[in-house]
Amino acid sequence: MVRMGIDIISLISLHEGEEGIIHSVTGGVGLIGRLASMGLTSGMRVKVVRNIGGPLIVTTNGTRIAIGRGQSQKIAVRRLTAAKEEAALR
Amino acid sequence: MAEKDLLVALAGQPNVGKSTVFNILTGLSQHVGNWPGKTVEKKEGLYVSDGTKIKIVDLPGSYSLTAYSEEEKIARDFIINERPDAIVLIANASAVERSLYLLSEFLLLKVPVILALNMMDVAEQQGIRIDVGRLEKYLGVPVIPMVASKNKGIKVLISAIFALSGGEREYTPSIADVSEDHKEIFMELADILEPYIDPPYLTRWTITKIMEGDTDITEKMSRLVPADSWSRVQGLLLQHEDSLLAVVRGRYDWIEGAVRSAISEFKRGQILFTDRLDHILTRPALGIPILLGVLGLVFLITFGLGLPLQGFLESIMNSLATHVEPFLGQSFWLRGIIVDGVIGGAGTVLTFLPVLVFFFTAMAFLEDVGYMARAAFVMDRFMHVIGLHGKSFLPFCLGFGCNVPAVMGARILESGRTRLLTIFLTPFVPCTAKLAAVTLVAAAVFGNKALLISWALVAGNILLLGFSGMIASRFIFKRKHTPFIMELPFYHKPNLKTIGVVVWKRITAFIKKAGTIIVLFSVLLWLFSHIPGGDIESSILGVTGRAIEPIGGPIGLDWKMIVALLAGVAAKENSVAALGVLYGVGEEGVRGILPGVMSHASALSFLVILMLFIPCVATLVVMKQEMGGWRWFLSSFVFMIILSYLSGMVVYQLAQLPQLFLRNHK
Repeated sequence: MVRMGIDIISLISLHEGEEGIIHSVTGGVGLIGRLASMGLTSGMRVKVVRNIGGPLIVTTNGTRIAIGRGQSQKIAVRRLTAAKEEAALR
Repeated sequence: MAEKDLLVALAGQPNVGKSTVFNILTGLSQHVGNWPGKTVEKKEGLYVSDGTKIKIVDLPGSYSLTAYSEEEKIARDFIINERPDAIVLIANASAVERSLYLLSEFLLLKVPVILALNMMDVAEQQGIRIDVGRLEKYLGVPVIPMVASKNKGIKVLISAIFALSGGEREYTPSIADVSEDHKEIFMELADILEPYIDPPYLTRWTITKIMEGDTDITEKMSRLVPADSWSRVQGLLLQHEDSLLAVVRGRYDWIEGAVRSAISEFKRGQILFTDRLDHILTRPALGIPILLGVLGLVFLITFGLGLPLQGFLESIMNSLATHVEPFLGQSFWLRGIIVDGVIGGAGTVLTFLPVLVFFFTAMAFLEDVGYMARAAFVMDRFMHVIGLHGKSFLPFCLGFGCNVPAVMGARILESGRTRLLTIFLTPFVPCTAKLAAVTLVAAAVFGNKALLISWALVAGNILLLGFSGMIASRFIFKRKHTPFIMELPFYHKPNLKTIGVVVWKRITAFIKKAGTIIVLFSVLLWLFSHIPGGDIESSILGVTGRAIEPIGGPIGLDWKMIVALLAGVAAKENSVAALGVLYGVGEEGVRGILPGVMSHASALSFLVILMLFIPCVATLVVMKQEMGGWRWFLSSFVFMIILSYLSGMVVYQLAQLPQLFLRNHK
């Protein structure tokens, strides 16, 4: 399981519309390599489009990817709050 | 100058329009088969230009070149072993970054690569600008902008292939390195391993794969390298557990460089059409009713338009039979084989073609515009109950048309276990032939309640599919978590050519089976039901049927019904024809005679078993082929026999209860 810091959370904890930067991906070589080839690897920016039970939909690199909840839990992200705060200030 | 023929590999990730390009280039010359020893489709074709033949091999679509999936392994083994003159990598211009990942892997293999940026028009609409010249300069490979769906850029691509393979064009690709902090271990590994890496394998590629933890290459090298050196390699890899990430990071740094130098986006915040549609279609509360509506519409179109045509073709077949008959002379056997065996058996199956054409066109349309991926997404949660995930939904859907392409459609699933389980469950999807047989018998026996009964049977069938899935995923295919990762392509306008090719492929698979296996079985079936005496009562089939009649007791079937079910194994429609023959009334008379010979309880049991019994022989053959061995195939076979028998028994016994009850109170 992913070790979570204060601001490092699992992808599954992001709400719809929220964005994050991928911190790390845990799991077997197969899963890590597979996710990396689709643009889900550390340093990449992801946005959660759909997260209401069932698999998630995320966008990264101009691609939409459906990803099971189990796999989502293995992706640790740093939540990007800047956009939200900006919107709130306006 | 007489040039030699060229070999070009077409590569690309899924959803980049690769098959469109392949279809334009090869047209009708394409040949579809399997990769040797694999259940992965291999497509090849020819493009002829000024007397030079270019053989084009379509590599399976893949996101990368790890050994993660069979497709990826096939793609890389082909490049390594066949050394094509060029690789054309098709990329989606609106998501170039993603395709660059695959490009970085191909470049390591030292075969000249051309990057074809497809769907430039879509990218432009999305506000993405690509500076082709600068991208070419950064990558060091030819970059060709294209709009394959409008036939734009194909000529330029061809001349680029010639220029590159003829050496008229300089080719100095930039190759992604591992990230800075891992260069040292890369060099150390190279020092140890280099002496043992022989062609066709390349040093840089092999080391990279070892760092990626590639099981295939790691295993190969462990056999070649002496034990002490190998343990040093393992020691190094253990010290640097993040080697894979170093490779990945190196690639993304390289990609970022390319994007920075050549790609600019203006309208990032633009809400794309896809976003808006997905907002509705992927929300379970709306998505599932919409999915049901869409499928309902597909069936309405299919049967509304297809069934009248089917009836029309059937009358043609019948008149064909009457026209052929006089030419067959007096021989009872010849007449029987041709008229009842070939025309009656396989001909009837072929009358279902219009229904299948409508159905597969509708499905291919939904796939092409991008909807089926969303259907798979909303169905995922239900599929989990039966130990599968959303992707299996597509083959199941195809199964409603015909189980044969459905079993083959299971190839889209990456994991072997998921694929096996999907194939295992496919026969529980009632195909058009089964539905036709069921509605006919139901109409004959149940009159105005027939529609209700047919619906209940289909619904019960689907519930049993779920139940079988739960049983099979727990006990037969041990439950193992398979990851669900699926790209949702952008919605786009349907491409008629792509749809046409898909429909053609599925239909020809069906026709081939009807023309070979089904003809053979129909003829055999006719022979078995007439040898030795010429009548069915004393025939091999009749005698066998009567011998096993006792097993029909608990399920309420007499020997004729049992024989009819067995006859359905040649093709499901045969069951109805067999009933007609056995009760001596011909197919048209079935409607009149069945109510008299079948009680409601027996009829229900017969219909349930018809739905659940082993599928037709065409399906059995592809199941055996795609399951790749006897073990799974036989367990599936036995499972279906047991399940259909038990279900028939339960239905028969239950259906008798109210009758007994009524009788007692009369």
